[in-house]
Amino acid sequence: MTTQDPEAKAAFLQRVREAIGRTAPLEYVPDYPPLKSAAVRQEEKVRTIEARSLARRDRIVETYLENAARAGWRVHRVWSPEDAADAVGDIAQGIRAKTVARSAEDLFRAVDVDGALRRNRANPVVLAAGRSRSRADVRRLAFEADMGVTGVAYAIAETASCVITPRKGVARVTSLAPPVYAAIVRAEQVLETLDDYFALVRHQHQRSRTRSFNYANFISGPSRTGDIEQTLTIGVHGPGEVHLVLIS
Amino acid sequence: MRAALCATCLVDQFFPEVGEAVVAVLRRAGVEVSFPEEQTCCGQVAFNGGYEREAREAALRFLDVFDGSEHVVVPSGSCASMMKVFYLELFEDDPALLERARSLSERTHEFTEFMVNVVGDTAAAKGFEGKVTYHDACHSLRELRISAEPRALLEQAGAEVVEMQDSDRCCGFGGLFSVKYPHISTAILEEKLANIEATGADAVATTDCGCLMHIRGAMSRKGMQQRALHVAEALAAANAGEGA
Amino acid sequence: MSVRTAQFRSASAQAVADPKLQTALERVMGHFTEARAHAIEEFPGDSWEQLRERASAIKAHTLEHLDYYLELVDKSVTRNGGHVHFAADAEEAARIVLDIAKQAEAKQVIKSKSMVSEEMELNRRFEEAGVEPVETDLGEYIIQLAGETPFHIIAPAMHKSRQEVSALFQQWLKSAPTNEIKQLCAIARDALREKFRTADMGVSGANFVVAETGTVVLVTNEGNGRMTTSLPRVHVAISGIEKVIPAIEDVSLFLRLLPRSATGQRITSYNSFVSGPRAQSDEDGPEEFHLVLVDNGRLNLLRDPEFREALKCIRCGACLNTCPVYRKIGGHAYGWVYSGPIGAVITPMLTGVKGAKDLPYASTLCGACRDVCPVKIDLPRLLLRLRQREAEGDPARERSSTWLERMLMGRWSNAVKTREAMERSARLGRFLQRPMERSGRIRRLPVPVLSGWSRGRDFPPLARKSFAQVWRERLAQEPSE
Repeated sequence: MTTQDPEAKAAFLQRVREAIGRTAPLEYVPDYPPLKSAAVRQEEKVRTIEARSLARRDRIVETYLENAARAGWRVHRVWSPEDAADAVGDIAQGIRAKTVARSAEDLFRAVDVDGALRRNRANPVVLAAGRSRSRADVRRLAFEADMGVTGVAYAIAETASCVITPRKGVARVTSLAPPVYAAIVRAEQVLETLDDYFALVRHQHQRSRTRSFNYANFISGPSRTGDIEQTLTIGVHGPGEVHLVLIS
Repeated sequence: MRAALCATCLVDQFFPEVGEAVVAVLRRAGVEVSFPEEQTCCGQVAFNGGYEREAREAALRFLDVFDGSEHVVVPSGSCASMMKVFYLELFEDDPALLERARSLSERTHEFTEFMVNVVGDTAAAKGFEGKVTYHDACHSLRELRISAEPRALLEQAGAEVVEMQDSDRCCGFGGLFSVKYPHISTAILEEKLANIEATGADAVATTDCGCLMHIRGAMSRKGMQQRALHVAEALAAANAGEGA
Repeated sequence: MSVRTAQFRSASAQAVADPKLQTALERVMGHFTEARAHAIEEFPGDSWEQLRERASAIKAHTLEHLDYYLELVDKSVTRNGGHVHFAADAEEAARIVLDIAKQAEAKQVIKSKSMVSEEMELNRRFEEAGVEPVETDLGEYIIQLAGETPFHIIAPAMHKSRQEVSALFQQWLKSAPTNEIKQLCAIARDALREKFRTADMGVSGANFVVAETGTVVLVTNEGNGRMTTSLPRVHVAISGIEKVIPAIEDVSLFLRLLPRSATGQRITSYNSFVSGPRAQSDEDGPEEFHLVLVDNGRLNLLRDPEFREALKCIRCGACLNTCPVYRKIGGHAYGWVYSGPIGAVITPMLTGVKGAKDLPYASTLCGACRDVCPVKIDLPRLLLRLRQREAEGDPARERSSTWLERMLMGRWSNAVKTREAMERSARLGRFLQRPMERSGRIRRLPVPVLSGWSRGRDFPPLARKSFAQVWRERLAQEPSE
């Protein structure tokens, strides 16, 4: 595997250093508060965010849904897991989906999406590699599916974003390759601002030094382009139709 | 109140009528006007061309010429910017000169800003008849943040002020730029002229003689009906009870 | 990318005379500036200004400690299982990427937008090495098919009409002709989906690189960025060294600034955060992750205290959209990867090429770019500084100012030394202008340097009497009321 040797790196960094006007590496960490804030302080910060999110939940969810509608999400607000499953079933029926790909997450124990899909004559496919399914299968099935369904790690009210953190059971392609996508969000997953989200990320990063923030995606609306005559066109490489099923 | 007029080289050599208008408006408002005759050019031409040494010489001269003036009034946003903003850059490495530049900077005012913020109640005549659109000269707007003042003065003078589209977009003059890249400069100017024409105004007014020379030059070439005026000319015309 | 800045004059003249191009520029630039203005209206008072101040300060801090933060990027990415490569120039960067491709036995590479890869002419390099590069951003794909370079940082194919795009697709993809933009997007989608599924390697740029976590942040709308960073077995991100920001909590600020400044969006449809290869247990994602951090002339800017601030640029394109000059000549006239005011500043510094000497003068210094810059780069001041260096004669570069211009400047300098000298010059001028003046105007000005003025504009003759004379004769005596 291609790697650069440490001496070449050191020489490069030395040139950078000299361009700044120094000859030796810094002997201290630069005075930059967002980097220096200790784990304890970050923990406090996260507690504050959690408390605020709880206290203001209704307002945060309202803002989230308003912004989502504005950003091109089709919003389905439901009050129970059963209704959430039905909402997904209705969406599938609305697009006459034959195959619907979903992730393998705990969420689907409570929200019986598979049952609802079957009732609407759609075939649910779980995109997770295992004994009977290879990684290549996962990819192929995602590209063949009419619709993808996943849960989210968080949602962000400020930007109408669903945060997806791919991991075992949650393939990247599920929310990406099918032309229609539905995200299932629980009200308590909605954060108020981008700042809240990155404070949480930093907290997790400080707690587990390795691979804490490996890959994440914000999905904040349908795939779009303006590249031809700057005319907005929906649905290029990602899903052109995005649904948000919010369970309060 | 006493004010020294910095006429600017363009007014001095090409548009003396603008200088006369400024004097008439200032005097009507009760300002005692002087004109230190040793003044020539603020050095902006050289500065914008990158000729810092020549610009510094000119600036030094201005520091002397306007040394004792209580207020210095400049009927040009770009020359006022030169004296208020860029002199400080020119002398940033010389504490004694920087101090003098700072003093001049504080005492220097673009004409419309001076009328509104220093003179205050201008008791202007309302004799201006006609529709005027205002072109925001770049340095007036972006170095000195002047945009409400000239419009307010025009309205006070009785003009019907109509906004053109993109009044804040450059007219394409840019000093040296206008002769170095005439094809780009005139393309930008065309858009400005079209925006002026679309307002149906009788005249376009501005606060900078560079823009004025540029816009007037094209209007004259094209035989356009509209007039291009310095705001001071419009105000002086109002005082004289003339229309546009 | 080869440097064609020396042809600025002829290229810009062609652009100004191209009615099709003018229509496209008018439409797109108008759209961008309006959208941006609308997007920042939601920030009350000076809160937008405060965001800009903070972003500018963070960038300044990072640049002052860039060696530290680059080292931290290296540590973080390595800890995450990825590989960091530093490249001194475009050549070395290309060699590194080609080596990675060779090791990976890549035959087909999908690319999501990267301006640094344009500096490297990476597509050409791939082709020479027998690797097929496919641009996947729709605009980049179109200009790749057309064999051109990006016209605009954010909207690379904005100069192409739907008819031209359709013709390209007919030629290269054998698609049926259509004037429906939606249909054209669908054709590109189908063509590229196959490439996404089969490519061996993905190459992306980076909007930000977070030192603390070793995270590459991508800001996209189409979804090609996600495809590029998810599907191929190897992902290579290429970034200029100036894209580093210190902390993960800095990201929210920059995500608020960038899309609003660029396209007027609150946020783009997708943001991808890539910190390394996939975990073993992940369902998909690349097994290998490389981050190539490129200097390619940036140290010239870093080294120079006056120009260091140009490295704060986050490549939003707002300065292009608002620039009266860019709005008339578009991107190609600038002759290299970066255009508009920021291009006019960094191209001469990055390429160090004599041919770029015209660019600093391609500005009216109107200041509109400075007002929209999300990181508050004082672009007009930097353009002026470049002009100063040209006028003074930077020993490292050839002068742009002609001897004629310098001579005229010398004349001017003498003429304004005293009132008497000025009057003397004016008297001579009045005498010389007589044969040119017709009814109060001069239509042709056969004077070197100034002659350009008479193109489309009359010149005012020197007044019969200077203001100073008028003052002496009439005004000085008049009492104040």
